[in-house]
Amino acid sequence: MPDGEGPQALFARDGQALRLAAVDVAAVRQGLGAGMTLADARARCPDLATAPHDPVADVRALERLAGAMIAFTPLVSLDAPDGVVLDVTGCAHLFGGEAALVRAVLAATGHAVRHALAPHVAAARALARFGGGTDVRALPVSALELDAEALSGLRRAGLETLGDLASRPMAGLAARFGELAVTRLRAILGEAGSPVAPLRLADPIRLETRFPEPLARTDDALDVIEDLLVQASRTMEQRQLGGRRFLVTLHRTDNARRRLAVETGLAVRDPAAVMRLLRERIDTLSDPLDPGFGFDAITLAVLGAQHLPSRQIMLEDGREENADDVAALVDQLSVRMGEDSVRRLAPRDRHLPEKAQALVPALRLRNVQWPPPEDVPPRPLLLLDPPQEVDVIAGVPDSPPQRFRWKGRLHDVTLAEGPERIGAEWWRRRGGHMPGGAGETRDYYRIEDADGRRYWIFRHGLFSEKPDPRWYLHGLFP
Amino acid sequence: MSHDQAGACIEDPPPDSGGGIPRLARAQLHEVHADGVDWAGALAFGLGAMDADGRKPVLLLRTRRRGAAMVPYGAGFAALGIDPARLVIIDARDDAALLRAGLDAARSSGPAAVIVESWGRLREYDMVASRRLILAAERSRIPVVMLRGDADPRPSAAHTRWTVSTAPSVPLEPRAPGPPALLVELVRRRGGPAGMRWRLEWNDEHGGFRDIPLDHANAAADVDADDRAGERAAPLSGAVVPLPALRTGAPLRRIA
Repeated sequence: MPDGEGPQALFARDGQALRLAAVDVAAVRQGLGAGMTLADARARCPDLATAPHDPVADVRALERLAGAMIAFTPLVSLDAPDGVVLDVTGCAHLFGGEAALVRAVLAATGHAVRHALAPHVAAARALARFGGGTDVRALPVSALELDAEALSGLRRAGLETLGDLASRPMAGLAARFGELAVTRLRAILGEAGSPVAPLRLADPIRLETRFPEPLARTDDALDVIEDLLVQASRTMEQRQLGGRRFLVTLHRTDNARRRLAVETGLAVRDPAAVMRLLRERIDTLSDPLDPGFGFDAITLAVLGAQHLPSRQIMLEDGREENADDVAALVDQLSVRMGEDSVRRLAPRDRHLPEKAQALVPALRLRNVQWPPPEDVPPRPLLLLDPPQEVDVIAGVPDSPPQRFRWKGRLHDVTLAEGPERIGAEWWRRRGGHMPGGAGETRDYYRIEDADGRRYWIFRHGLFSEKPDPRWYLHGLFP
Repeated sequence: MSHDQAGACIEDPPPDSGGGIPRLARAQLHEVHADGVDWAGALAFGLGAMDADGRKPVLLLRTRRRGAAMVPYGAGFAALGIDPARLVIIDARDDAALLRAGLDAARSSGPAAVIVESWGRLREYDMVASRRLILAAERSRIPVVMLRGDADPRPSAAHTRWTVSTAPSVPLEPRAPGPPALLVELVRRRGGPAGMRWRLEWNDEHGGFRDIPLDHANAAADVDADDRAGERAAPLSGAVVPLPALRTGAPLRRIA
């Protein structure tokens, strides 16, 4: 919602018009409502603060809200796009009665909400959305949520409330206004069931072991951690899950807590693999894992669980077959040396050769696809970063170098190919489209010296761009 | 005796199996010596000559160097038939970490090959360290290649030791550098003759190195290049450690 004290509204594009998608209480008091065009709303209420409507964020917020409502009842279901249904059967007494429960729920939502209590879902929903009180028979016929034609038909027939409809024979209603009208009416009146499909929140995988006597040896603690991992892997196996992050907390008797966290590139549940990572983590700790007077308790939490289907179990040792052994190795080395030390090459859609690829931590990179080789002149195997400035003797303006000096050694060029002209990325520069603002063009040559070594060398700038362009060595060919 | 050991002994292929082209065989440790300026050539030899699974990742281990870094360039790897997406680059803090990571990588059967780039003396790389790498490679059946840059050979247990330098290429018209060309010498080989030399050229059509005889017509122009390689190879002979070709008695008899 936009900030501010006054009336607020969200708008969405509807064809050519901008219409209000949601309004707050202050805006309703000013006579605004959802569906009104933004221009009309502004005319009525000049100090209306608006922001574009984001349905995805709405869905997320609703899911968060539903998750928070678990505090009041285990049976929560979403009533998209903007409702939550709580089945509070048998829950009210825990909060001191229905009225107290409603107050607690309303305080917990943090939004301006309408609510209703009813014996079944359809009635509660209709009461909350189309009126108040507790008498469903007093609700207007619009509570059936039929299309405009059927609604106007009902009104023309003089039927204003659900009570009017309920006193008529159902068969006639079905014949005239469709079966949907009767189904909805019976659901609201409670004659037909309206089941709830509650959200099922997966409970987090969190295990804890408390010891009668403090554990004084680190090795014992590691054994306990391994035990916890085995239990966790069983749970994960049943749910077809694997963890991406494992957090072990060691509670010491003096109330100090040590946390060991390891992260993996792929979801895993093999206790041995996680144990290996944890040992790596302990090795890299700057101060050793000091048990002091002993550990009181150890907890293991599996965070970032992901779907991981079961795999073939090897006959010999009963372990799950590890299909991607490199992933385990990458995890292990990333834990030991830091994730910035284990990297893969990823292509980037950039023009300059050194920007056309990036080294990305292998933990963060999945399924990178390199485009098939383009029909461009050969590229070196190794790129010098940064390019090395060299002294060059070359013909002016567009000749390959004849001789260059690198690291104090003189190289005579025997063979040369080029130039391959690679322009600067002027579209990325401020004022790059202006004459002279584009940056310097590079002329690349593939050269071979008298010793048979091949280099990639470029002149930074054309002679028309600058009077004295420099030469740089940029790559080595095999 | 375990099956692995016997297998490794019997299957030790001669390093030039496959039509006279030198190969870096599986389940073995290979040392490739090269100068810093020939580094691309050494890497290309390691990648192009190794006997490896064509789809699994290739691990490239390096130490962080001061000064200008030599960054592997994806498009260049693609030209040598290695999908850059297969490359995993591991930067170690120092030589000890490099060897430790290399050992872990060699133990894992996931990668197609492990290539360790090392520079200078590499004090930690001795008989024990190389022996560990060999045992790891024999278990996982992948080739392990130690690239030694600007280094004098040290006694080690490696199966083969090579020196690689880039060679003048066969020029393309009009006076443009040709495809990658290398001068390769097998300096030492456990339990076999050494001292063979090859002139290899990358064959783009078939995606592999091919041998160009040293006495080929165009090799005449490269006499000085050969001499250079000879000079570089000369001090190597002193450091060769006599090692029995085979570790155990039974296969020795079998082969002998």
